Amino acid sequence: MTTLVDVPASAQTATRPSAPRRRRGQTWPFVLILLGPSAVLILVFIVLPAVYGLWLSLTNTQLTGFAARDPKFVGLDNYTYLLTSADFLNSLGQTGTFLLFSAIIGQTVLGMVAAILLSRPWIHGKGFFGAAVLMPMVVPEVVASLTWASVLATSPEGTLNRLLNIFGGEPTAWLQTAPMMAIILVNIWRGLAFAMIMFQAALEDVPAELIEAARVDGAKAVQVFRHVTLPLIRGPVFLYLLLTTISTVGVFGLVYFLTRGGPGGQTRIAAIYIYERALQFSQIGIGSAASIILLVIVLVLGAVYVRLAKVEV
Amino acid sequence: MTILRSRTAAPVLNPRRRRRLRPVDVAQRSVGYVLIVLLALFCLVPFAWVVLSAVDADAGATVQIPAFSFDNFIRFFTASGTPLLLINSLVIAISSTVLNLVLGIAGGYALSRFAFPGRRFFMFGILLIRVIPAPATIIALYLIMVNLGLANTLHGLIIVQAVSGLPVTLWLMKGTVDAVPVELEEAAWTDGNTRLQAVRRIVLPLIGPGLGAAAMLMFMGSWGDFLTPLVMLQNQDLYPLAIGLFRAFSERNVIDWGLLAASAVIYVLPPAVLYMLVRKHLLKSSLGGALKG
Amino acid sequence: MKRTYVAAAFTASVVAAAGLTGCSAGGGDGSDGSVTITIMETKQTNIDAISKEIPGFEAEMAEQGKDIKVELIADVLTDEQFMTKMTQQLIAGQAPDVLDIGENMAISWSSAGYLAPLDDYLSEWDGWSHYYPAVKEAITRQDGQVYSLPSGAGVLNLFYRKDILTELGVDTSQPETWDELIGRLVEVKEKTGDTPIVIPAGTAWGGGTWGEGFMPLLGGTDTEFYDTETDTWDLESPGWLAVFELYDDLVSNGLMPVEDLQNPNPWEPTKYEKFPEGEIQVAAQGTWGWKFDWGPNGATPIEGLVEKVSTWQFPGLRSGDKPYGWSNTGGGYAISEDSENKEAAWEFIKYLSTGEPLAEQLVASGAASARDDLDDVAPYSEEPQLLQAGEDLGESVFVVTGDGAAQIGQAVASATELILSGQADGQQAYDAFVKDATDLLGPTLVKE
Repeated sequence: MTTLVDVPASAQTATRPSAPRRRRGQTWPFVLILLGPSAVLILVFIVLPAVYGLWLSLTNTQLTGFAARDPKFVGLDNYTYLLTSADFLNSLGQTGTFLLFSAIIGQTVLGMVAAILLSRPWIHGKGFFGAAVLMPMVVPEVVASLTWASVLATSPEGTLNRLLNIFGGEPTAWLQTAPMMAIILVNIWRGLAFAMIMFQAALEDVPAELIEAARVDGAKAVQVFRHVTLPLIRGPVFLYLLLTTISTVGVFGLVYFLTRGGPGGQTRIAAIYIYERALQFSQIGIGSAASIILLVIVLVLGAVYVRLAKVEV
Repeated sequence: MTILRSRTAAPVLNPRRRRRLRPVDVAQRSVGYVLIVLLALFCLVPFAWVVLSAVDADAGATVQIPAFSFDNFIRFFTASGTPLLLINSLVIAISSTVLNLVLGIAGGYALSRFAFPGRRFFMFGILLIRVIPAPATIIALYLIMVNLGLANTLHGLIIVQAVSGLPVTLWLMKGTVDAVPVELEEAAWTDGNTRLQAVRRIVLPLIGPGLGAAAMLMFMGSWGDFLTPLVMLQNQDLYPLAIGLFRAFSERNVIDWGLLAASAVIYVLPPAVLYMLVRKHLLKSSLGGALKG
Repeated sequence: MKRTYVAAAFTASVVAAAGLTGCSAGGGDGSDGSVTITIMETKQTNIDAISKEIPGFEAEMAEQGKDIKVELIADVLTDEQFMTKMTQQLIAGQAPDVLDIGENMAISWSSAGYLAPLDDYLSEWDGWSHYYPAVKEAITRQDGQVYSLPSGAGVLNLFYRKDILTELGVDTSQPETWDELIGRLVEVKEKTGDTPIVIPAGTAWGGGTWGEGFMPLLGGTDTEFYDTETDTWDLESPGWLAVFELYDDLVSNGLMPVEDLQNPNPWEPTKYEKFPEGEIQVAAQGTWGWKFDWGPNGATPIEGLVEKVSTWQFPGLRSGDKPYGWSNTGGGYAISEDSENKEAAWEFIKYLSTGEPLAEQLVASGAASARDDLDDVAPYSEEPQLLQAGEDLGESVFVVTGDGAAQIGQAVASATELILSGQADGQQAYDAFVKDATDLLGPTLVKE
């Protein structure tokens, strides 16, 4: 990081031919006026909350009760509490399940399938299929939840129950009997389009000659994909995994709307846990510590992806 | 481009193409079609309830053949609470987008045109910010908002949303301004324009697509946001549609399903229309900026 | 007609746009000496009841030469949503002047310093002497001050479907012990296949699991669980385990609707669907069930309510316990500490807590009077169930608790949830509760 800071301005201008060659004395006032407001706002509304959250996580701050009058520094107590609390560990486990099955497996595989199919020259109606896949991404979270509430509705008239009825299935209370599966399905549905778009862009960059060459050598489609295409789009795939990990860990509305973490805490993913602790139970200290733990996990995952992607960031 | 390529390639491909239409290929294509149709159904079927119920005079919680009527939409605009939800949503999303763009253009221009120490640090710093999941900082942010006197106000929410989208906008705008040759600007200066005039006459007209992409991302982000208004706003007169719909849905006893579905359709329209309008033009630049940046 | 709506929408939009450039709650003083106070209500019955009283109050104030206006903030919310939202507003100093709160909120907010103490006002008010001593005790917080004035009081009992039990040939006399009642419930289950009883439990019910379920059961068999001398919670008091085991009995015998209880808004399928349908035959319920839940203007009206439904007292749990009702009085009207118009707010609370205005509210929401001078005031005097509850109030049990009630409520909710989901029996749930409560309360609030 420090090397980045110390990069001399002249070195950078040299690498960018179109950058203006101006004397530094004239630069600062412009930069301050143009970029200053953004920098200050980012500092106050993004960086400060993160730092403040770190501080709160080391205190017993509450919003109600006597502790609200006089918050105290409690060191790592909140962290020890959380890391030994079955509730929180369950919640992390559920976040992991949700992330693995909905984002890492579901969205990626289906997004790839959609991207490949829509890149086939023989598929007709690409515009329609593309728009169909995009719809779930375009609608706001709340509407997405609303649509799925009707699909997963308990009564025999729920859309899914009706569909299953055609094949002789029994009506099921999906959000009660398989709540985790339900929210995983919904998140796949919602994230599929973004995966598809990213993979489409990546596939376009794969030289057609390479694929043709492999085909001529007699490789099957699956083999071509595994040995030629996949290695070439490795970077974008891991970049996608990074982005979807961040956004999936941040999913709140979908789950809050459909199950509110229930039944019996079976879908209490970390975002719901944090909201419950901090705002419903007003235990800001514990909620903040949970946030920091979540943040650390995301950072670690991010570092792993970047490693695996073998790309320079 | 594609036309040219397929023309030149045609003679080579033709013999093989005929060969490929054997049963194996037919089967492969059929599987392909089945898959894509299933995917499309998976994506579209959930919308059935919203679409049908919105035009159903006696809509319920589940899919049914509608008793067709536009009554639900009329009620949306005449009911006591719902128009205000729409207005709040518009005020919030438009204001935060405008604020975000103004800051983003100015900042992006500075990042692109001026070389100053710490520039790269700043760029990567704000990229790293993207890693923070929103729920992780929302509580601390709320307490800060309370101290600033901005909690439970529309302008407070607008600032928070505008700033939360700022890292992406700054990256996008920097990339977009980079693409405008500085020589054009320099030529304008020599013609006697001030720096600001040069920006207005030369740069702004040329960054349209990037600006559109940034605006769309910001607008959709703000329009669809649920967590931030849920935490920041407690006064029901300030609620946007996201919260209004959630509230209407939670009152299970007395849900007016038709009105709810109509509200959902109205809520979906702006981002959907916006997206479909600009999709072709902006997909590349928005993704390019977000990814390659 | 339509045109007025459009005009209203337009006005609203202009107001909303203006709101952007700075506005805040809490009217404040006008330059002409007029004062606007705000009050928030979150239950439809209360919203209707209060909006009916506002003109009378404003007229009375005008007669006294005071220009006080009241703005009602009507927002239908669950208790949990209300508590979350209002806690945030109190911190931000944006809360309404007058709040209508429950006991757990009174405890949590008064100890945090968000509510104004009412003692000075009460000592100068002639109405205060009419409140029952038990009520005064229940609303005195651990610092010795009063922060909320109850609009009414309720008695928690077991409401049961007399019509259905009679039809099934099940005994409807007051059960003396839980064993006896469980025997009858098993009988109902065998005959109907229903889950015959609902008592708030689990995390989805929120604060109600403690306040309207567990605590009434606990307090009936053990009043020592909170030590008012040291303001601490005695987690080793024997009643805790007994109640967890009762929950376990009810669940393991298949008598509770465990699936409904684990979903968001668990009161909807149970109290508002199955009890009115007769598919749940017994429910732990306060006096307000007669109006707020099942009355003609309630959430789910039951036609012919007083013929179909009757009440039992809670049966005894451990040997030697007698049947009892549990009184519920701890909340009421409070004034937020940041209010700039405390005097005017107090005037309004006084008005709401006296004579006919009070009687009307009690009837609307279904509550017994907390005052001894209301039995002859119409329309309250015309409600036999409420008058009866008022009489029962004198004999019902109550335990005053203090800081930490919210944390206890949470620990109880999580521990009963373990029973609902079949992950723990009574003893295991109790152990989990003790561990959780000890962590949440911290060292100062647990009795050594």
